[in-house]
Amino acid sequence: MFAMPVDTKRIQGPEVSVPYDQFLAQQSQQSNEEAIGKERIDGRKSDELREIFLKTAVLSQAKGSAYIEMNNTKVICSVFDPREIPRKSEFSVNGELFCEFKYAPFSCRRKRGHQQDSEEKEMSAYLKRALEPAVCRHEFPNLQVDVYALVLENDGSALAAAITCAGLALADASIPMFDLVVAVQMGISITGKKFLDPTLEEEAYCFTLSGSDEKGSFGRVTAAFLPSLEQFSQVVQDGSMVTETYVEVLKELAHASKDAYRLSQECLLKAVQTSKEIKNAEQKN
Amino acid sequence: MALKLLSDAEKVFILHGVKDDFRCDGRTRQEYRPIEVETEIVSNASGSARVRLANTDILVGVKTEIDTPSPTKPNEGKLEFFVDCSANATPAFEGRGGEELATEISNTLSKAYLCETVFDLQSLCILPGQQCWKLYVDILILECGGNLFDGVSLAVKSAIYNTKVPRIASATIDGGVVDLQLSDDPYDFQTLDVSSAPVLVTLTKIGERCVVDPTAEEEACSLVSVVLAVTEKGRCVTTLVRGEGSLHEDTLIDMLKVGTSLGIEMNKALKAALKLEQSKGENKERFGFLK
Repeated sequence: MFAMPVDTKRIQGPEVSVPYDQFLAQQSQQSNEEAIGKERIDGRKSDELREIFLKTAVLSQAKGSAYIEMNNTKVICSVFDPREIPRKSEFSVNGELFCEFKYAPFSCRRKRGHQQDSEEKEMSAYLKRALEPAVCRHEFPNLQVDVYALVLENDGSALAAAITCAGLALADASIPMFDLVVAVQMGISITGKKFLDPTLEEEAYCFTLSGSDEKGSFGRVTAAFLPSLEQFSQVVQDGSMVTETYVEVLKELAHASKDAYRLSQECLLKAVQTSKEIKNAEQKN
Repeated sequence: MALKLLSDAEKVFILHGVKDDFRCDGRTRQEYRPIEVETEIVSNASGSARVRLANTDILVGVKTEIDTPSPTKPNEGKLEFFVDCSANATPAFEGRGGEELATEISNTLSKAYLCETVFDLQSLCILPGQQCWKLYVDILILECGGNLFDGVSLAVKSAIYNTKVPRIASATIDGGVVDLQLSDDPYDFQTLDVSSAPVLVTLTKIGERCVVDPTAEEEACSLVSVVLAVTEKGRCVTTLVRGEGSLHEDTLIDMLKVGTSLGIEMNKALKAALKLEQSKGENKERFGFLK
């Protein structure tokens, strides 16, 4: 669908292709939509997060790393030591964060390119702005810290997962921080149904307007939160929302992020305890 | 954004002014600078507009072209934004310096116009699955005096309002080849409906308070700003938090409320201004760049 620089080492597909799911029977899609409209397919309540699995220090080569799994959304994140900012001559008082958000080629329904596309670049910018307020950047002037987030499997809320994961990875890399960063997404459909931590299907459902009057609010909001400072570091919204609904969604997101925060804290605590045990064991030997 | 170099004393002065609701140029916190809009300023473009917001100067040209619709959206036309931060505006934009800001603005605009309740892309469809109109919206930033997002969105909305899409006399498919016949009359065109298109409202936090329409100097005093895309009905279609700071929940909610109410007013004011200009017809006084 889009032209990429030719890489002769890869098998070239045809120039133009159409995703197969367009030819799927419309009926199955409709019945699926109806099912989502009634209750969530995985049986969650509208304000319930998916079960979250978090782990730090998953990569040995990176200074810090973390992995997050929210059912079928899986993101791995790595953070590297501060290094000199490339191609920069003037002095910067604050250190810089370089963030790269990437979908693995196999992570979505449609194959992703091996180079960053414009959507991924946009996500990288969100990731950067979500993390920046949490990092004590004055502690490493003139240096840059690299943060790489790779989505292994995308089943909705990938940006939120990447932000939470990157926050943990930064902490794991012992980068000085003011606070942890957690992010949660919420979708709202035109029928007024709210989906906390939506799956890919639910995200799509939030944008189907078929046959409804356009008076209700719909769309998605992803909010990154610094829980102990009670600050929003980033809010990404699309769709169309009236102020009252938007405010409601923000409040619910702030509330929901407390659960995610507790998990992140626990994960870090566990990591510290294990490393302490290992050290003690080494000393005894 | 191109940061002005300010001394600490100057910053404190601006900060105190904002606190006392009396800014350096005499405005209150929620007051815009005078805005000038002129449409149909570039003769070779299908639609164009120029907005001057005090010393922020933005020129937008819209070009129409025939394209094939994307396979996932066979009934819709295409809309593409491109922002050029020329080095005329500030030397900081030289080379690739303005690129980051340019992509940020164009991403925000395309996100704001993407929603089907905001802009009807189906009106740009000629033959479903075969041919559609593609609008290239090119935004040129000529002078950068703060508050680029708001200025750009006003200019874009006016330029799309001004865009004339040629009317198709007939469209047929003959043996798999599309045959289009455009109307012979150059005055036979369709215009586009921008009544629900959004404008961007930027709220910049300076000290404890937030202000609208900051000057370049005020922007240098701020760590965080919120950009809201608001439609005439007061609906928020895109939000962007810019800058390296963060916001408390209450501040954010306050900003949302203020931003939406200002957005409604801006939309109405722009609509009135565009109607007024249109009512003057061909004989309107042209200002161009000679002012």
